Amino acid sequence: MFRGNPAHSGVYTSAGPRQFHRIKWKFPTGDRIVSSPVLSDGAIYFGGDDGNIYAVEAASGRQLWKHTTGGPVPCTPAIDNGVVYATSYDGKFYALDAKTGGVRWKFATEGERRFEAKGIHGLQPKNQTIADPWDVFLSSPIVAQGAVYFGSGDGNLYAIDTATGELRWKFQTGDVVHASPAYDNGTVFVGSWDSYFYAVDAATGKEKWRFHGGEDPTVHNQVGFQSSPAVIDGVVYTGCRDAQVYALDAATGKEKWRFDNALSWVISSPAVNQGKVYFATSDSSLYHVADAATGKSVLKQQDKAYMFSSPAIAGDVVVIGVLNGTLQARDLKTGEALWNFETDKSKENKGWVLTKDRSFNEPFLYHSNWREAPLVAADRQFGIGAIFSSPLISDGVIYFGATDGYLYALE
Amino acid sequence: MRVVILLLFTSALTTYASTPVAGRWEGSVQIPGSAFNLILDLDQSAAREWIGSIIIPGLGVKGAPLTELAINDSAVSGTIKGALTGPRTGNTSIKASLTSDGRLNGELIAAGNIASFALRRTGSPQVELPPKSTVVSKNFVGEWKGDYEMDGYPRHVTLTLANGESNGATAQLTVVGKRTNEPVVDLVLEENGFLTIQAHDFGITYEGRLSKELDSVKGTFTLGPFELPLTLRRTP
Repeated sequence: MFRGNPAHSGVYTSAGPRQFHRIKWKFPTGDRIVSSPVLSDGAIYFGGDDGNIYAVEAASGRQLWKHTTGGPVPCTPAIDNGVVYATSYDGKFYALDAKTGGVRWKFATEGERRFEAKGIHGLQPKNQTIADPWDVFLSSPIVAQGAVYFGSGDGNLYAIDTATGELRWKFQTGDVVHASPAYDNGTVFVGSWDSYFYAVDAATGKEKWRFHGGEDPTVHNQVGFQSSPAVIDGVVYTGCRDAQVYALDAATGKEKWRFDNALSWVISSPAVNQGKVYFATSDSSLYHVADAATGKSVLKQQDKAYMFSSPAIAGDVVVIGVLNGTLQARDLKTGEALWNFETDKSKENKGWVLTKDRSFNEPFLYHSNWREAPLVAADRQFGIGAIFSSPLISDGVIYFGATDGYLYALE
Repeated sequence: MRVVILLLFTSALTTYASTPVAGRWEGSVQIPGSAFNLILDLDQSAAREWIGSIIIPGLGVKGAPLTELAINDSAVSGTIKGALTGPRTGNTSIKASLTSDGRLNGELIAAGNIASFALRRTGSPQVELPPKSTVVSKNFVGEWKGDYEMDGYPRHVTLTLANGESNGATAQLTVVGKRTNEPVVDLVLEENGFLTIQAHDFGITYEGRLSKELDSVKGTFTLGPFELPLTLRRTP
């Protein structure tokens, strides 16, 4: 499942790929991929914005099956007990046979939508409600206690019985839930775009506690949990669009520390490993390592472009995707760059979206009609093989998707 | 009569020969995945200084002035001011030279990216001159202070206005939040008590009207997409 396990640690048991040798295979789809791949029994599963849920043979990159939904699938499937679970923009939740792609059951939510607001990011016209172009992910499910848990654009956190597809409970938040829930010790943790982070009893759906993040009533830019939490050793770590990374006591919701990122979103989901928290920022394009106990900075490195992808740790290597179409591998301890892989589309640099050194070329990225610029800019970012997907690492092979429509396997 | 015509003809030739790049030049520039029209106007001012502006439909560039304009024989170079510029990427510039067949061929250079263009002369120049700062009334001259709030914490603004000797008013702007910023104000306008200042490279505009008591300016501070009320009060 997303981030490797229900606690979302982002840590994989594979050896760390310290060198890049070649593209093992790349698998074409019909549209961009922002979903992150997962692996089970030799098959890679992921969603495509072409509306399909895919199963691909990990060894060869050969398609095993695809199941067409009624909308884009920018979520990461969960695999449990031979069943693939995924959400779709058609507002339905799918349980598919992992071998065949056949439907076990479907569950209809109250309907998907993106986060939206009047005047969002300063977009005009100000009195018109506009969907957030950077609300790119759907909530990725987790499975625990015989239920599958996921968030929805209808504002609910759902618990569905895995055997029957029946609703066990739903927990209503105040806005879109596209962050992915994490599970630990009988509790489901998830953030909402209503500015609150919730801990919910996994069995009953009753709220245990809530934590209030930042608000932004003016342009709705600095509000909402889009990042997904990691829960390690009784502490919840989550990024937020209010530019903070929070560490919260998993039992009480009490804030242990916060890491301020100076107005820069933290969409990336933190990875936690051996007492350190690894995360990346959007606008400021910084890669951070912080002490898990105190939140003090251990390492900070300037990157080239926004990062929505979440870091994946394998052995002594950390791998992360960058929206400039680069997959980066760093030394876990020092942060030293080990190797980069660049998608072909990013090397084409359509519309000069990137500078020569592969930073975002903001005058060309945002040029457009007046203040519709963010809408157009998001589309331009998608057009250069950007990597929103979080890497999966197994047996020294790295799997990830890109907005050029390919799922890559690198070794 | 023949002499007059000959003199006029000679004069025209002389003018053309001394300003071979003056004119409106049109063509296209191809960047990866997109082609844009490029219209370049080059002329000499009454003081015989070179002036220029550029239009690139589709890239949001209309009449952007060319600064650091250098024209030597058939070579032209300049920097686009106020468009296609960013604090991280710097300015976009052009470099071109006149070919023997009368074309102006060159390169558009932005953030290390380079694209070729080829232009042909299509008419006389229509250079758009940038607006110039005006003199402000004495009621505005001096130091003003005020606060606005963004993202939940206050920013303290100090604006100092002065009239220059020949080039209209100047303004110094300081904004203190978590950091202290001193954006360069490149335009100051005042008309009938309504003040406008712009720091174009920072996306900052302040517009406000002087109160009847002459002790405050009530207006709006615009920072990119943010429009925030800001009342400035004269520093005692």
